[in-house]
Amino acid sequence: MSQRTERRGIHVDQSDLLCKKGCGYYGNAAWQGLCSKCWREEYQRVRQKQIQDDWALAEKLQREEEAAAYASSHSAHSQSTAAQHASVGHFSKFEEKKTNEKTRKVTTVKKFFSPSSRTTSKKEIQEVKAPSPSISRHASFDTDQVSKEFVDFLKNLHKPGRETYKQCRAFLLNMSSKKVCCPPETITVSISYQNKETFLFRQDLGADELSECVQDFYQNLADRLISHFKGSSESVEQVMDQVEKYIMTRLYKSVFCPETTDDEKKDLATQDRIRALHWVTIQMLCVSMEEDIPEVSENVVKAITDIIEMDSKRVPRDKLACITRCSKHIFSAIRITKNEPASADDFLPALIYIVLKANPPRLQSNIQYITRFCNPSRLMTGEDGYYFTNLCCAVAFIEKLNAQSLNLSPEEFERFMSGQTSPQFSSSDSDWPCSESGLGTTVTNPVLVQLNHNLELLTGLCTRQEAVMEAAQSLQADLLTWSDSVQQEVHNILEKYPLEIISKVSAIDANTDNDNLPSPIKPQVFAD
Amino acid sequence: RGLFIIRVFLLFLMGETLPRVPGGVPVRTLRVKMVLLGSSGVGKSSLAVRFSKDQFRDSSPTVGCAYLTRVLYLEDITLRFEIWDTAGQEKYHSVTPLYYRGAHAALVVYDICKKETFVRAQVWLRELEKQYIPGSTVVWLIGNKEDLSQNREVSLQEGQNLAQEKGLSFTETSALSGDRVNELLLAVGKSSSHDAPVQTGRLSDNLSLSNGVPQGSDSGPTFGP
Ligand SMILES: Nc1nc2c(ncn2[C@@H]2O[C@H](COP(=O)(O)OP(=O)(O)O)[C@@H](O)[C@H]2O)c(=O)[nH]1
Ligand SMILES: [Mg+2]
Repeated sequence: MSQRTERRGIHVDQSDLLCKKGCGYYGNAAWQGLCSKCWREEYQRVRQKQIQDDWALAEKLQREEEAAAYASSHSAHSQSTAAQHASVGHFSKFEEKKTNEKTRKVTTVKKFFSPSSRTTSKKEIQEVKAPSPSISRHASFDTDQVSKEFVDFLKNLHKPGRETYKQCRAFLLNMSSKKVCCPPETITVSISYQNKETFLFRQDLGADELSECVQDFYQNLADRLISHFKGSSESVEQVMDQVEKYIMTRLYKSVFCPETTDDEKKDLATQDRIRALHWVTIQMLCVSMEEDIPEVSENVVKAITDIIEMDSKRVPRDKLACITRCSKHIFSAIRITKNEPASADDFLPALIYIVLKANPPRLQSNIQYITRFCNPSRLMTGEDGYYFTNLCCAVAFIEKLNAQSLNLSPEEFERFMSGQTSPQFSSSDSDWPCSESGLGTTVTNPVLVQLNHNLELLTGLCTRQEAVMEAAQSLQADLLTWSDSVQQEVHNILEKYPLEIISKVSAIDANTDNDNLPSPIKPQVFAD
Repeated sequence: RGLFIIRVFLLFLMGETLPRVPGGVPVRTLRVKMVLLGSSGVGKSSLAVRFSKDQFRDSSPTVGCAYLTRVLYLEDITLRFEIWDTAGQEKYHSVTPLYYRGAHAALVVYDICKKETFVRAQVWLRELEKQYIPGSTVVWLIGNKEDLSQNREVSLQEGQNLAQEKGLSFTETSALSGDRVNELLLAVGKSSSHDAPVQTGRLSDNLSLSNGVPQGSDSGPTFGP
């Protein structure tokens, strides 16, 4: 059938549809006329080249560094090169997926049984060491993108830019070589352990030490830059922002919620705590936001979305930006409700309310991560710092929250916490009707309103989809009967006008085939 | 952690020398973080708005007035004030130490017409002393709503005595009329910038609570009528 339609349809040159590479598959305009396979290959080639260029630059800088190191101490040279060499491969593996809890436990046990000969381990490491950079780097496109942007940014700065890049590379190598230069038994673990980098890294340095390393690095670099830029603090801050982005994108996986801390435990505790407080109402917190006003509830939803989004960012400053955006939405919500600028007295309770509603994922880990690895000038001063501090306050308040802080009696608080009663039903007056109030068309809870609205939309979509399906089916039926009817028609016509083979004899042409005719009736040509 | 905070603090107080201004004198820029503490209703937010715009709060067009800034250009230094307002409700009292991490100045405000806010201010001060890192924060005691002097419940003397006893800087202000608000801002800036050279030199512990601007000194604020 499709073939028929194609022949019947508008004329498109077949060759226009095919992949430009001529592989025989169909191409697509979105892929610049290539088929998906050729496009991927092409794209990868370009990207690979970019990566290689960056890599070459990095290598060059590294060689310079090594040369300098060689000059300073000849004896340490070979060792350090080996370490640096190994760490390149190791480093790129930071980005590998964190293994789950189970695997970790298994390997911890494993390490007691693994052989602990140093020579073997070294050899093993050499072997494991270098998956070609392109392959391992290929795993994280984001990281490549960030590196590329970083290099591009620094290119415009000329000498200080190169200097900065060198410093960053050296720092990253230093961070990763910390793992390589560790006691023999730790190296052994790495063999029996697939995800060794992360493991070693964490065992080597505690969270606070890691933080200290990074913060020291920031400060040293900032000091140097200040002299480079002759004290222009804005340029320094710009560069430092880029440096933070570059460094932290790379370190994120291994320093976010590290095992050496109880961040994860705290995350779970906070999450449970917030869940247990699900019954807290906006009135109990004395928040001045009227969620009945559509604009207000819109801002509330946006604030919740922003604070949840924080977890998806890798760079501390990006996380801060999420908090700031969330806060701005809260301010708008309060401003619309009260019709005057929101003050700190209004803001903090509102933020607490938003955190309770959102229950942001890995809240404690995120706060710890920001505190440890953000450029400090962004934390304790500046607008971002202000909102971040408020978030910390909100979390601290939620942890300590008790009957008094909600203006409840201790008994009431206990009942709510234990789930015996919930405030909605105990105080069920006109403003909060129970859901089982029959044909209750006046549901005031905004969440329920939203839910109903969404359900209506869904049913609407369902009926429309059904209509579409019906129409499609009837179209199909029509097409079938149409082809049948065409056949029928053809058949009828054929019957009406049966095909007759008319013999050639019927026409006698005087000018042709004269020779074939029997002689008696051979036409005679007479001259006039 | 303490070390870390000091280091951060150093970073700010060092200031940075900017390119030369037309006059030919290099001007330093200094960030001054000041935190407003005190009970609800004493006028913290009103003071914050006064600090940042020199007007009373009602005419403020901004979305929020919890975090405000003000830049003052002095002869040899540019001061960039960051004014952090805090929630005054008593239930948030326990979390406020987070606000004054790394602050150059903490202003404990009370309402001269409400005795209990003065009592409360003393709780804040004790709290501050507990959390205090020597040399980092200059603490001020502020009696606000001085324009309502006729309804005063806390005398000027009481305020001065408390300040003297704790070794704090003290002044009475009116956010409504704007009396002595700018002077206060200048004094806060000066006390922060005066400390700066000491801070850059070494980690000194000779800056304690009492090393704010001493009472009655030239750079200090004026006192009541
Ligand atoms: N008369 C007078 N009223 C003031 C002054 N400062 C603030 N207020 C009023 O005191 C009330 C509380 O002020 P607000 O700034 O919200 O206090 P906050 O809770 O400490 O932030 C408001 O009604 C202000 O108008 C002042 O200096 N004089
Ligand atoms: Mg206020």
